Amino acid sequence: MSIYAETPKQRRSKSTEAKLIVPPEARGFGLQRRFRRLQRKGPIYALTGISNLSERLREMTGREVIDMDRVMGVMQFLYRQQQLAKRGVDYAVDEFGFDPEWTESLLPLFEVLYRDYWRIETTGIENVPATGRGLLVANHAGVLPWDGTMIKTSIFVTHPRPRHVRALVASLFMGMPMLSWFLRRTGQTVGHPDDTRRLLERDQLVLVFPEGVRGTGKLYADRYKLRRFGRGGFVSTAIRAGAPIIPVSVVGSEEIYPMVGDVSSVARAFGLPYFPVTPFWPLLGPLGLIPLPSKWRIQFHPAVHTEEYPPEAAEDQNLVMSLSDRVRDTIQQGIYDNLKLRRGAFV
Amino acid sequence: MPSPSPSRVLITGVSNPLGAEVARRLATRVPWLFGCDLNDPVSALEEMDFVHADTRLSVIGKLVRRLKIDTVVHLAVMVDSPRGERATHETNVIGTMNVLAGCAGPSSPVRRLVVKSSQAIYGARPEYPSLLSEETAGMHPAGSLVTRDLVELEQLAHDFAVRNPACRVARMRLGYRISRTTALGRYLSQPLIPSFLGFDPRLQLLHEDDAAEAIALAALGEQEGPFNVAGAGVVLLSQAVAIMGAQSLPVLLPASQWISRFAIRSSTGVNLPGHLLDLLLHGSVMDCSRLKAAFDWTPAYSTREVMDGFAHGQTEELIEAPSPPQEYELQVYLQRRRRGERNTMARHVLPAPR
Repeated sequence: MSIYAETPKQRRSKSTEAKLIVPPEARGFGLQRRFRRLQRKGPIYALTGISNLSERLREMTGREVIDMDRVMGVMQFLYRQQQLAKRGVDYAVDEFGFDPEWTESLLPLFEVLYRDYWRIETTGIENVPATGRGLLVANHAGVLPWDGTMIKTSIFVTHPRPRHVRALVASLFMGMPMLSWFLRRTGQTVGHPDDTRRLLERDQLVLVFPEGVRGTGKLYADRYKLRRFGRGGFVSTAIRAGAPIIPVSVVGSEEIYPMVGDVSSVARAFGLPYFPVTPFWPLLGPLGLIPLPSKWRIQFHPAVHTEEYPPEAAEDQNLVMSLSDRVRDTIQQGIYDNLKLRRGAFV
Repeated sequence: MPSPSPSRVLITGVSNPLGAEVARRLATRVPWLFGCDLNDPVSALEEMDFVHADTRLSVIGKLVRRLKIDTVVHLAVMVDSPRGERATHETNVIGTMNVLAGCAGPSSPVRRLVVKSSQAIYGARPEYPSLLSEETAGMHPAGSLVTRDLVELEQLAHDFAVRNPACRVARMRLGYRISRTTALGRYLSQPLIPSFLGFDPRLQLLHEDDAAEAIALAALGEQEGPFNVAGAGVVLLSQAVAIMGAQSLPVLLPASQWISRFAIRSSTGVNLPGHLLDLLLHGSVMDCSRLKAAFDWTPAYSTREVMDGFAHGQTEELIEAPSPPQEYELQVYLQRRRRGERNTMARHVLPAPR
């Protein structure tokens, strides 16, 4: 039996004495507090350290060794990723699963590939409309669809009004783990006429590769020879939606993975359209997945104005096929022109 | 030829929660309301006459003619059943066939038929368009038994509409609903949710109230043909898991769906039907523009609001089913009030996606 009428808790709450309560993390050596401070100030410490090092190196060698702009770019990228992680569930994707904020945060990575790795020169960017719908039609090459990502990056980097491009992807890739998630999240959708129509009706820029996997899966010996453009389905969709077709020629994508063979038996076993053999794949394993640093050129051609035709013209197979051939010829001619303008495949 | 507004309405499958809610909504809007089901109704409505009748037997024809029913609301369709997929086939296909046969013929007084269908009619596959419109259903071979049944059911309803031009048939494809009674809701209520590695499907949901309102509007209206009914916008599965405050465990492999199904059932105790497994792999979103154009109405709750509401309502207590009718009504009323409060709260706290 206690001598007090109250419990210890009640006594404490009534006490008028001021007490200094030490927070638990400040005990010991204050490791946790120091760690937190380091976590907060770490980026600034790292930046000052690198800039001091850069100055020291400049004094020693007499030239710029560390590009501080690059360092700042990396820091910005990391900061942005951290900010994105903080948004939690408070973001919305559209019905196609596109997350514009997240996609924009990844663009610096693709910009590095665009500027420094493939040294891409883009011409005719003024042919891409700044607003409103448009259907970009491009040649497809290089075992993995890097050309699509580079066309998207080039419009975001060089266009006076940066826009997102929504590429159409073979349904096969939409059924693959990781890839389906990444493609949907970055704005791609299935190559289905319904999807194309809906995106165009929402005044989006849609990128289509009419060659499909026939284009990416061709051998190095057949490089820069356009394949059949399907049945011209992209032309009828464009006519129905009243969207201009902008032909795009990409040069350089053929050399990133020089495909010397196709093991169709392995491809069939995995349910793939082709199984490529390049000088480095599958010989070097994952290293063979690194694309070669070829020199690229991307040209956007003047638009083919399909909006002049009435929507019923989409049923006119003759008109559709002739327009499809016109687009194909423009792209093929553009490829030849840009191959001449390029000094060599890797310089 | 506009038919007069419905006066004598029969609801089949009135004892399931959706049927009860539809009956509650129609009770004040139509002069005569009849309901039939195998089981006792969960709520006793004074305005409704209840008949024990099995849709799998040919009693509906007699019922319809005796009672001079002019509107049949066929809700005895099981999409998300705790029973096996094979057991639901009997109810869905044979039951619907009997109901349609009962409503057919020159002597039938039925002028309006509303059939409940589901988003599951589309199934989910990677090659499907991102937004499913009404005409794309049944174009590909069905992946699961429920999908196949629904395609057959809607085909029957369509054939019926063609043969009986005097009767207008509306097929309401309701989006996936989440509550403690649906498999999807129970799956999302787990603390640790097994999901497919490398897949983040888009989910589209429909609020229970919106589902009932859509059916009621269809029963009172003139619209014909299939209609997609679902909340606006989408929620990714990863978002849904985070909203529920759960942790997702990406372990399942898409190649072996049987193993995945077994893993989900044994680890969480939820028996996911095949069509829901496809949904968790590839996601499915419907285009509801036809509904908006024909009914001039859109669901009040967006997908995100449904998800938020479900997450907030996790602590909600269950209503004991076999309680006295007045007690039950009171409890339903109180629960609806609370749910409404929570939903408006959720709408203020979290930004509505657009």
